[in-house]
Amino acid sequence: MSIITISRGSYSMGKAVAEQVAKKLNFDLSSRDILLDASRKYNVPEIKLINAIRDPPKIIERYSHNKQSYIAYIQSALVERVLNDNIVYHGLAGHLLLRGIPHVLKVRITENLDDRVRNRVSLDKITAEEARVLTLKDDQQRRKWTMFLFGEDPWNSALYDLTISIDRLSIDDAVDFICQASRSRALQTTEAGQQQLLDLAVACRVKAALVDDFPTLNVTCEYGNVLVYPRGKDTASKKLLKKLDQIRKDISGINHLETHSGVKTPEKAV
Amino acid sequence: MPIIIISADARETEEGIAEKVAEAMGYTLLSPEIMAEIGTKNHLDPEQLCNELEATPHLFQKLLSCQWRHDLACIEGEVLERMLADNIVCQGLCAHLYVLGVSHAMKVRILSGDDRAAANQGLLEKTKRDRVVQCRQRKKWSMAAYGNDETDLSRYDLVINLGQIDPDEAVKTITHAAAFRKFQVMTYSIKCLANLALSARVTAVLLETMSDIRVESNDGSVVIFGKASNRNKLSKITKIKELAGKVKGVNFVEVHVKRNINPIS
Repeated sequence: MSIITISRGSYSMGKAVAEQVAKKLNFDLSSRDILLDASRKYNVPEIKLINAIRDPPKIIERYSHNKQSYIAYIQSALVERVLNDNIVYHGLAGHLLLRGIPHVLKVRITENLDDRVRNRVSLDKITAEEARVLTLKDDQQRRKWTMFLFGEDPWNSALYDLTISIDRLSIDDAVDFICQASRSRALQTTEAGQQQLLDLAVACRVKAALVDDFPTLNVTCEYGNVLVYPRGKDTASKKLLKKLDQIRKDISGINHLETHSGVKTPEKAV
Repeated sequence: MPIIIISADARETEEGIAEKVAEAMGYTLLSPEIMAEIGTKNHLDPEQLCNELEATPHLFQKLLSCQWRHDLACIEGEVLERMLADNIVCQGLCAHLYVLGVSHAMKVRILSGDDRAAANQGLLEKTKRDRVVQCRQRKKWSMAAYGNDETDLSRYDLVINLGQIDPDEAVKTITHAAAFRKFQVMTYSIKCLANLALSARVTAVLLETMSDIRVESNDGSVVIFGKASNRNKLSKITKIKELAGKVKGVNFVEVHVKRNINPIS
């Protein structure tokens, strides 16, 4: 089977779609619980993780690299969670955090602004004007956040395998589409795909272990062979070598670990 | 049964998917092949018509822009007219930009994804670059022609990326969606389509001799917004009424001439 990520604008009924897809396919459903996992594992207050994945970076944060650390923790928690397959994730940035994994079906649910405002008015009991302002602000924040961290516009349809507008379709229709697409041959879990996911999990573990001290370095993993790409002064750092020795002992799934400095970081690196 | 409008970021993809959907559903395929007929009917060059769907006139080519809008209106009129016959799959005619407010028209966008063949030949970067340039050009064209961004995904009911999903699966998904209740033909949606077709026909007739025209129609009643100076106002109104009144299906003409209008209907 496969992994399904459902991305949506705020108040776009994406949660309802995700719940029904999970029910219909008998998949696990996951969203904010990933943040709890990350919070527990890396000992970070949940609110900080929520802010990291929801709000665009403020000017000071652009230099402090805290956001990168939190995102690395969240990505690691998410990858660990989806390792077991058969899961629907409808939290933030799933399609970006699981990029490059072939058996991930990336779905985007869109709804026109007026309907979203109407949903917000009925759910939050606020005026239409307030709802419109808040919804537009949400969209703007999401765009800034994604552009800053991943250099991608969340409204770029090329990021998704399937984009469904539920203005004219019902939730049931959207669920039908997603279930049908998830049966596509290309989205079935293969041995190679599962190996890629395992490698991503290892790379994420290593990155999460290093990101606090070395926020700009990148990590890749292939069949358990981990390559660390340090940048700038990190390249000759004794602290990094010490840390890598520790990582070799602590993190499972590593066959071999080495650093590659002065070379271009591959696109798939985390 | 619904009208399925297919648009894609690459022409081959658009043609391929549309043909397969039409074949699977037994629908008529409406494609740029109808340009020859449109050309004959309107005394225009078919090649020129095909070109109009791709090239945006330069900012300073004001005269060309009038001809361009006229040609687009001719294409639009013919396509909408043919769509009234129902059971249609349409591709390559930019119908997703002017078939608006018709509930039984399902708009599907297909993205070619990363071309695997190109990747094998080490051409992936070039393909991606070409696609970005193409995308930018299409965006510019669609904004100039209809004031809508073709690449905006919220315009479509369904967007399928072939990077992961097999083309045959995409065809299955589209045919499956076409059966949804919300895309079934209703008297009202047919009426909306007929109104759009009439508006396009009137626009085409008017743009032969004038520019800056916006047409709205409802059940044979046509409201035309035009632009003229105070001195020419009366003569322009008379001329518009005379020309529009001759168009088949027009029962009543109302003209509003102002100093400034939005030419994109």
